Amino acid sequence: MERKSRTMIAAALSASFWLAGVAWAAEKPTSQDAVKDPKAAAQKAIPKQVTKADSSAAATAAAAKAFEKVSAELYPKAKQEGNLVVYSVWDVEHLRIITEAFMKRYPGIKATYWQGRNPEIVTRALTEFQGGQASWDVVLSDNAPPVIRAAGAIQSYETVQKDVLYLHDPTMPTVSLQIQALAYNTKKIKPADLPKSWEEVANPKYKGMIALDDPMRAGPLSSMLSGLKTQWKDDARYNNFVKGLKALNVPVHKSTSAMFRLVISGEYAICMPALLHDVMEEMHKGTPVGYVKTVPPVLFPRQAGIYVKAPNPNASKLFAEWLISEEGQKTIDSIGRESARNDFKSKTSIEAAFGKGAKPLPVTDQLFLEDPKKWLDTYVKPIWEG
Amino acid sequence: MPLVASAIAGAAIITPVLVVMWRSFTTGKLGFTVGLNLTNYLRVFTDRDLVPMLSNSVIYAGGAALLGTGLGASLAWIVARTNTPGKGLVELMPLYPILMPPIMKNIAWILLLAPRSGILNGMLQQFLGIDTLVFNAFSMAGMIWVFGLACVPLGYLFLLPVFLSFDPSLEESAYIAGSKPVRTMFKITFPLALPAFTSALVLNFLRGLRSFETPVLQGTPGNIKVFVSRVYDSMALEFNTGLATAYSVVLVVMSIITLYFYIRATRFSERYATITGKGYRVKVIDIGPWKYLTFAAVLLYFLVGIVIPFIVLIVVSMIPYFDYDTFMRFPFNAVLTNYYTVLRHPSFMTGLYNSLILSVTIAIVTVLTGIVMAFTIYRTRAAGTKVFEFIGTLPLAFPPLVLSVGLLIIFIGTPLYNSLWALGLGLFVAYFPYAFRNASGAIVNIHKELDEAAWVHGARWRHVFFKITLPILKPSVGGALFYIFIEAIRNVDVAVLLTSPGKEYGPVTLFEYFRVGQWAEAAAGGVIYLIILIVAVSVAKFAFKMKFSL
Repeated sequence: MERKSRTMIAAALSASFWLAGVAWAAEKPTSQDAVKDPKAAAQKAIPKQVTKADSSAAATAAAAKAFEKVSAELYPKAKQEGNLVVYSVWDVEHLRIITEAFMKRYPGIKATYWQGRNPEIVTRALTEFQGGQASWDVVLSDNAPPVIRAAGAIQSYETVQKDVLYLHDPTMPTVSLQIQALAYNTKKIKPADLPKSWEEVANPKYKGMIALDDPMRAGPLSSMLSGLKTQWKDDARYNNFVKGLKALNVPVHKSTSAMFRLVISGEYAICMPALLHDVMEEMHKGTPVGYVKTVPPVLFPRQAGIYVKAPNPNASKLFAEWLISEEGQKTIDSIGRESARNDFKSKTSIEAAFGKGAKPLPVTDQLFLEDPKKWLDTYVKPIWEG
Repeated sequence: MPLVASAIAGAAIITPVLVVMWRSFTTGKLGFTVGLNLTNYLRVFTDRDLVPMLSNSVIYAGGAALLGTGLGASLAWIVARTNTPGKGLVELMPLYPILMPPIMKNIAWILLLAPRSGILNGMLQQFLGIDTLVFNAFSMAGMIWVFGLACVPLGYLFLLPVFLSFDPSLEESAYIAGSKPVRTMFKITFPLALPAFTSALVLNFLRGLRSFETPVLQGTPGNIKVFVSRVYDSMALEFNTGLATAYSVVLVVMSIITLYFYIRATRFSERYATITGKGYRVKVIDIGPWKYLTFAAVLLYFLVGIVIPFIVLIVVSMIPYFDYDTFMRFPFNAVLTNYYTVLRHPSFMTGLYNSLILSVTIAIVTVLTGIVMAFTIYRTRAAGTKVFEFIGTLPLAFPPLVLSVGLLIIFIGTPLYNSLWALGLGLFVAYFPYAFRNASGAIVNIHKELDEAAWVHGARWRHVFFKITLPILKPSVGGALFYIFIEAIRNVDVAVLLTSPGKEYGPVTLFEYFRVGQWAEAAAGGVIYLIILIVAVSVAKFAFKMKFSL
């Protein structure tokens, strides 16, 4: 009996070891699939993002023409493919509206989506990539696409409508922008007492009033720091700013949205930073919040990255182009997300929200976008934790 | 046969665990290949924050587990053994707080206990003129209180069947010897409940070690760092599952140490057997005027466990925005737009249907397998079965996101991938420890003489299992089924990676509102969800006479 049971348990455990081995073997990448050397990947020349604050009527017309042409070319092939699978961080309701609008515009293509947070998207997408699965087409998100691209899982595609984009990345179309603003509770602080720039937030007089996003995570505050570092090109100024924030000794938050809720509730007076579309939505509802128009908006790209093993590459390209087109941008605007185009007029457009002549702060640091941990270890950790 | 079933279940559980463990030696950042090395472990053990974070984790998890399990056990004792008035009500009151998902409690208690904007501090100031900020959600005490409340259901459901199945002769002997009820309670009753109590305590402690929402929402603003945040940072910041797993291995080691003490504490299991061959009937103790105090205690738990947080959520879901003044103006400022938004949610109905079907199935399968494995360990003479003690609890040591990566890797390339079966298996692995530990605690309470009587008469394992063990375990089975169903139907962490395009799982999309901080919509979704569960449980209890350990 003893011998039999031991044999049985040993057999079951061996089977599980074998299964684990098979699973490991299945996810082991082939040489051409995955990047073998992270350093080599980082050195790989990826064209820098181009920032363009405004465009002419001619550029708008040219973009519309280019879109019609590429749409006419891609649609028959995309229709033949018949499907489109999108992985996205966006709300399910937003994804439903977008995919339904796309399917209405291009009958014959069935678009489905899977929604998760950025770490979940990266984990799923790259695990499938390593497992050799042709299981998705487009990843539609902010932080996830550059990280997935760094692992070699994104195929390069440059949009034909690049001349009307605020932020243009030649390898992944930017379809929307995440705009960060300095928000505040109008019941808690008077406009005259507010900081007039990001740098002024570090003034000791704001101690106890500010809710700070955790600068040691890949979140809005760290992306702003990367944007400021690029813009200032002044290490001493940057270091003093981070030291000033640290000296405030205020609570930090890992969830920007939860932090914003606490600002609304009156726990804090100032939100460093908030997402513009959240602030606008609350202002529209009559919530006592506002944002400081003199503080330059921080722009972070929301991109549509096309999978290197995409089973429906033409549908993927068509989807990315449609999202940037005027019709696509109207759909994105209808769900409260910010337009990627500099010629698109809406309440969340930079011109409408911050006034003509506003100087946005784009996040273009390639290291931050692709390896946020390394960037934070180099440029934030020594000051913040040192 | 039980050995075969246990071996299959054990293999299903250990496989994803082995996959993630292996990756801790071979994987760097996702998408990049690295050879077999110890880099991840070197990073873990040279992390200068390791010890302070582990200390915080132990204080937080230990405090919450003790508070929750202790409270749950006390409630179970009051309900099962005392003559507390309003029996029907007293039986029901501890049941409903179980339905409230922990994250809903988190949000509600933050709104109640936030230092400057919290409802309780606001009321103290408005009505009593106390300006001192008495309550602070962003403190260790606040974290222990909120997670402790989430630990009560396990303590209650694990202990109730034990208190309901006592051999009265043990207590009667004490009474005959002149012992007073309180002394008997401490000297006889509680020691006999020790295995089940330790089981619940261990589970709650391990849950606390890996719990993430409370430390993120309440700990981070209070600058309280716990160990599990390193695991999540490895995933969220570095996208490095290998490193996340290496950090998780520290949790595995802590789980093994905890389990070691648990096994030692229960090694003379016969000592704790309360169900013997002599037959039993629960003896209700007359606690005199204390019965009003016990009634007040149950009522108080009902209030803090569900009524107060539920009211907060209802108000938050109906007011335009939350701050103290707006909250206090309710109901004159009530709106229903958030409910309209949630009900129009594209995945609400299909997701709810899928999650209902899957949760019921998983609860049944998991509970039955848990009993079979516990039966194999404690009731068969097969050698080496103690290994299942460890395997059966192992998934609990892994944060859900890490565990679901292992499952994802196993399913990729198989027909199961992107199917509801994969999700079902994932939930099975995730919830097996609860079913298993619940069954272990209960089986230890049944004296072996009942089985031995059957063995002597030539019974085979199936006779013993189906005719003796299973019927006696009925109260525990009800409780475990109920608990796992409730947990599975609101699971997000495991389900999120295993759902697929077009196959929604209700909680994943609904609880996304909580995760992204849309608290008004989240509260509305939570209220709808809770009402559905309350109705479902009430119908099951009253219309179908189902017993949830009661």
